[in-house]
Amino acid sequence: MSKVVEISPTTRHEGHSKLVLKVNDEGIIERGDWLSITPVRGIEKLAIGKTMEQVPKIASRVCGICPIAHTLAATEAMEASIGVEIPEDAKLLRYILQCANRMHSHAIHNILTLPDMYIPGTDTKINPFTKEEPVRSVALRIQRLREIGQTIGEMVGGEAIHPSNPRVGGMYMNITPRAKAKIYDLAKEARVLAQDQMEFMIAILRNYQNRDFAEVGGTEVPIPKDLGYHNQGYMATDPVYGSSSLDENPTWYPERFTEVRPWDWYMGEMEVSEADPNYPIGGTTPVGTKTWPQMQACTGVPLYDGQPVEVGPRARLVQFKNYDEKGAIGLQIARQMEYPETAYGIINALDALNTSGDVVADYIPQGDGSLGWAANEAPRGTDVHMAQVRDGRVEYFSMLVPTTWNFPTCSRALEGAPWRLAEVIMRAYDPCVSCATHMLVVDEDKRIVTQKLIQ
Amino acid sequence: MDVLGNYKSVISARSADKDIQKKAQDGGIVTTLFAYALEEGIIDGAIVAGPSDEPWKPKPMVVTTKEELLAAAGTRYTISPNLQLIKEATRSYGLDRVGIVGTPCQVQATRKCQLYPIGMRDVDDKIALVLGIYCMENLSYQALEAIVEDHCNQKMESVKKMDIGKGKFTVYTERGAVSQMPLKYIHKYVQPGCHVCLDYVANLADISTGSVGSPDGWSTVFVRSNKGNAVWDGAMAAGLFETKDMADVKPGLDLVKKLATEKITKNQKHVDERKSFGLKSDGTPKALRNPYETP
Repeated sequence: MSKVVEISPTTRHEGHSKLVLKVNDEGIIERGDWLSITPVRGIEKLAIGKTMEQVPKIASRVCGICPIAHTLAATEAMEASIGVEIPEDAKLLRYILQCANRMHSHAIHNILTLPDMYIPGTDTKINPFTKEEPVRSVALRIQRLREIGQTIGEMVGGEAIHPSNPRVGGMYMNITPRAKAKIYDLAKEARVLAQDQMEFMIAILRNYQNRDFAEVGGTEVPIPKDLGYHNQGYMATDPVYGSSSLDENPTWYPERFTEVRPWDWYMGEMEVSEADPNYPIGGTTPVGTKTWPQMQACTGVPLYDGQPVEVGPRARLVQFKNYDEKGAIGLQIARQMEYPETAYGIINALDALNTSGDVVADYIPQGDGSLGWAANEAPRGTDVHMAQVRDGRVEYFSMLVPTTWNFPTCSRALEGAPWRLAEVIMRAYDPCVSCATHMLVVDEDKRIVTQKLIQ
Repeated sequence: MDVLGNYKSVISARSADKDIQKKAQDGGIVTTLFAYALEEGIIDGAIVAGPSDEPWKPKPMVVTTKEELLAAAGTRYTISPNLQLIKEATRSYGLDRVGIVGTPCQVQATRKCQLYPIGMRDVDDKIALVLGIYCMENLSYQALEAIVEDHCNQKMESVKKMDIGKGKFTVYTERGAVSQMPLKYIHKYVQPGCHVCLDYVANLADISTGSVGSPDGWSTVFVRSNKGNAVWDGAMAAGLFETKDMADVKPGLDLVKKLATEKITKNQKHVDERKSFGLKSDGTPKALRNPYETP
């Protein structure tokens, strides 16, 4: 007899979501739905009729952890639609901004992950707030990495949260030689810290993999060896930056993408039949509560080649570096492995940057309504924006955000895990739920949605 | 209310640097202090009113060398929105220690940025030296053109220096001509926003300076904050200024005080008048907004 457990809200990730879990008598998940319950803000609909300059600044406000992804993807989708090639130095500044944001984002996710993990060789969970060693110096290192990431982002992007420097056609400002020197210094400092932090995190995660159980709300929960395994595919467009329809060989294929409604994909109406008041902190949803994932999910379900796919650090490593480790911890380790390149990426781009170079295209066409798309490899995975611009105004705008892709994939990865570890699996995806929540459009048959066809 | 603000000392001074003396409006205090602060690493850049493409129209710019500072020397009697760059100086310019010079209102804005940083992330702790200049009132660029080209009958591009003093607006040309307009005609050209200003000698600056009170070629300097004091002492020790005791110079501090009192009294009256500017249908006064009061 299966029972229904609901964890609502989930914690230690961005945004508002819940887990609806059908479990067997041993508490093992038979089918799990992880869904967004963040209110839809409808950026894509509101964008219609606005100027191509304005929409990327609005899209940035989708998320304050990865605003760089939305700013760059939206700006580049506009550029792809109107067909403008931006100067090399503008590209380099955007690349530095991208790396700086990834450095900060992965570091902040460490803070969210660590409370699930143990100090190796002990049964003590890590509390990042404690002033005691060894945790305090790790927390300080994380904060310094974030500070460096944000400071570099601020200098090349104009602002760390919601960057002001990117514009359609390039950037508003190049940086001064003094700023370049400062970024070198900061990146060199971060390079060492990022290496240390990566090694530390991988040791912590390997220790978790070797454990037999984890303690959750006073219960000893066995950790399965296949925690978070799934058989879905991976999707990534670039190891660091992204791709767009302006590229000679684009690495994302709009024709392979379809989207279905939550109705077709999530579970139907159910009643919660199991609850644990000791689940930290505040317990799970009480028995008897009605839950209806089909109706409550606030995201569409995007498919690539007809299947949900995983995006993010592991997808990038699988696609470009033959990484082969599965499961929740495998994904976490892949994320840590991206640390060094954030610092090296900044240093290499700086080497190539000419601080006297032009950063705005000489001529910026106003668009004829052609469809353009741009994919940005956000910290959490492929963020594709699609746009049609005519006479400087946006006619159509759509965002396919990393966590939207990961919602159904992660839901499948929950199967076979003890329900008390469902959040550990979910956190491995570094969810950004407000990012994921976007408009859903249905065609005449009220069934399948192909964003490409919407006008 | 003390119309001259808080200060530790007041001195009459001028730069000992002949290059600066030649270019400066008065004693070259701002140029010398920023040049010193740049050299000593007290600041790594300064926001000043630099030259622009149009004659006598200032353009805010970030400078990092003495040469750039000299190009910005001299008063331009029209708006230069220096605060425009205060955030950008910490962004693409990569400055950690920002110097800024401004009129009393711009110094107020800088201090407000530090205490209430709205959309001003990472700016507050990077402001390293704030220099203030005395300001009675300011003009739009069109107003300045009207004064120079119509009242004084000179072309803007041939002007070498402009000066307000002794009841006159004076224009000096490159080829040696001098034209004047009585200051009593300036009123209609003044920026309306200046009429509610209650600060004459940049009370909130680290160091403020202006011509009034000291002889031609000299400036009256108020050293106000601890930071201002340290910078001033350092510059004095480096022999960058000639000074005179304020008590020994004519017309002296009394004139500064008199003008400050006049400005503040007149503008306070204007602020008060705004309270009953309009009339509601029930016969009671309807006010214009007063930024010095909470609504």
